[in-house]
Amino acid sequence: MTLVLDHIGLTRANGRRVLDGVSARIGAGEFVGLIGPNGAGKTTLLRAALGLLAAEGESSLAVLPPRARAREVAFLPQAREIAWDLNVETLVALGRNPHLAPGQRIGAPDRAAVAQALGEMRLEGFASRRATRLSGGEQARALIARALAQDTPLLLADEPIAGLDPAAQIATMELFDRLAREGRGVVAALHDLSLAARYCTRLIVLHEGRKVADGTPMEVLSPELLAQVFHISGTFTPTESGPIFQPLGLV
Amino acid sequence: MIRPAALYGGLAALCAALFALSLMIGPAGIGWGEGLVALVVPSDGPATMVMREIRLPRALLGGMLGAALGLSGAALQGYLRNPLAEPGLIGVSASAALGAVLAIQLGLAGAFALGLPLAALAGAGAAVLGILALAGPRGTALTLILAGVALSALAGALTSLVLNLSPSPFAAAEIVFWMMGSLADRSMTHVWLAAPFMVLGAVLLLPTGRALDALTLGEDAAEAMGVRLVRLRLMLVIGVAAAVGAGTAVAGAVGFVGLVVPHLLRPLVGARPSALLIASALGGAAMVLAADVAVRVILPERDLKLGVVTALIGAPFFFHLIWRLRGRL
Repeated sequence: MTLVLDHIGLTRANGRRVLDGVSARIGAGEFVGLIGPNGAGKTTLLRAALGLLAAEGESSLAVLPPRARAREVAFLPQAREIAWDLNVETLVALGRNPHLAPGQRIGAPDRAAVAQALGEMRLEGFASRRATRLSGGEQARALIARALAQDTPLLLADEPIAGLDPAAQIATMELFDRLAREGRGVVAALHDLSLAARYCTRLIVLHEGRKVADGTPMEVLSPELLAQVFHISGTFTPTESGPIFQPLGLV
Repeated sequence: MIRPAALYGGLAALCAALFALSLMIGPAGIGWGEGLVALVVPSDGPATMVMREIRLPRALLGGMLGAALGLSGAALQGYLRNPLAEPGLIGVSASAALGAVLAIQLGLAGAFALGLPLAALAGAGAAVLGILALAGPRGTALTLILAGVALSALAGALTSLVLNLSPSPFAAAEIVFWMMGSLADRSMTHVWLAAPFMVLGAVLLLPTGRALDALTLGEDAAEAMGVRLVRLRLMLVIGVAAAVGAGTAVAGAVGFVGLVVPHLLRPLVGARPSALLIASALGGAAMVLAADVAVRVILPERDLKLGVVTALIGAPFFFHLIWRLRGRL
C-alpha cells in the first residue's frame, strides 16, 4: 500500500503552526528517512499521518478504521514504553492483536509471525526473559520485533536508532533496508545524517513544519540545505561501499 | 507464571470453599448438614429463614463485592499503567459514600429500606457525569486521574461537612460506622439491587483486556495497533463506576481489595493485564469472603467492620510489597 499525504497542516492551540502543507507519496520498496532539526515537526507529521492527531489535509492511513489501519501500518513511537513485566515473547505477540478477532486466541500463524520477528531481531534466546529487565538496546530490539510481528506493508518509526549502540544502529538500518527491498514501505524519523544517507533510498527534509527537500540523499544533502536547515556543513566522500556522508562543522 | 486456566480454576475453588464457609458461620449455630438441607429444601423453619434470608445474601454480596473491586482495580491499573491505581481513584467511591451519608443525614435511609443504596448509586452516577465533564471525551490518563482526585476531594469535603454540621450525634455515629463498610444484616433485596450494576460493570470491563495489553506499550503504540482509546476510556469509567458504585451502595467503603489483589496476582499471570482481569475478580471475591468470615470469627460479639479488616489485611501486604521492591533496587 502507498502512503499518500496531501497537504497535512496543523496549528497548535497556542497559534503555532507546526505543520504546513506537507505532501508526499511513499510506496512499496522505499526506505524514507524523515530528517530535520529538533522541533521541525517530524514526530507530529508521523502522528498526523497515522491519524493519532487531528490534522488538516488528508492521509491515506488516517481515513482507515483503526483495526484496518493497524493491519496496514505498524508504528514505533519514540518513547520506548514497557509498562508491565511481560516476557519478551508476550510483548512481541502484542503485535498480532490487529489480526485477531475479538475473543480469538493466538493461533499457529500468529506464533509463526512472532517466532520470525524474534529471529529477525536475534531475540530467540530472550523469549521467556522479562522485558523490563533487558538493557535499553535489547528493549528497543524487542519493540521493533513487536512491530515486525504486526506484519504490515508499511512501517513508521520515530527515531528508532536513538540511544542504541553502533552495532544495533547499523543492524536496525540494515533491517529496514531489507524490509524495503522485500517490498515494504518504511518511514523513519532520523537524526543521524550519515546513516540516513547511507541506507535510505530517499530523504524528506522538514524545516519549521514545511517540507523543504525530497529526493535521494545525494540530491537532498546539498551544502545550501545543510547550512540553511541544519546550520552545519558536510561532504560526501566516495568509498568502495558507495558515497559516505560526513558532517564537518557548524556554519 | 501459572497457566491461566489452572490459576482461574484454583482461585474459583478457593472462592467456592470460602463461600461455603461463609454460609456456615453465624450466631444461630446451624450444623453443616442442617444448613445445606435448609438452604436447598424449601420450608418455613427458622433454619431455612437464617440460611436463605441472612447468610446467603451475605455470602453472595461478599463474593460480588470482592469480584467487583478486584476486577475494577485490575482494569484501572492496566489502563493507567500504574500499580498504585485503585477503584476509588476516579472518585466513584467517595461520591457514592457522599450520597449514602446524605441519605442517612436527611432520614432517607430510615424512611425506606433502599433509600441509602439508591442515594449512593445516584452519587456514583453523578461522579461519572462529573468525571466525563472534567476529563473530556478525549485526553490522557493523567486528566482522568486529576479529575478523579478533584472529585474525591470534593466529595470527601462535603462528607466531612455533613458530619461537621450533623445536629444529632446518633446520625453522626451511624455515618461513621457505615463508612467503615460491612456486609452484616443485608438482604436479598440488596443482592438484586447490586447485581445488575455489577453485571453491567463486568460486561464493560472484561472485554477491555486486549486493549489493556496493547496499552503496555503506551497510548500512541496502542492506538496505532487499533485500540480506540476514547471508547476504551468510556467503557472503563462507566464499568468501574457501575461495579464499585453498586458495591459501595450495598456495603459501604471497603478499601484495599482493588489495590492489593491485582498486585498479588500480577506475577502469577506473567503481568499480562488481560489475564489479570479474571484472576483479580476471583481473587477479590476470595479476599472479601475471607475477610467477612474473619469479621465474624474474630469478634463474634462485637460488630467488627469489614472495611477495617480488609485494610488491616491489605496494609501489611503492602508493606511486604514495598520490602520486596526495596530488595530489587
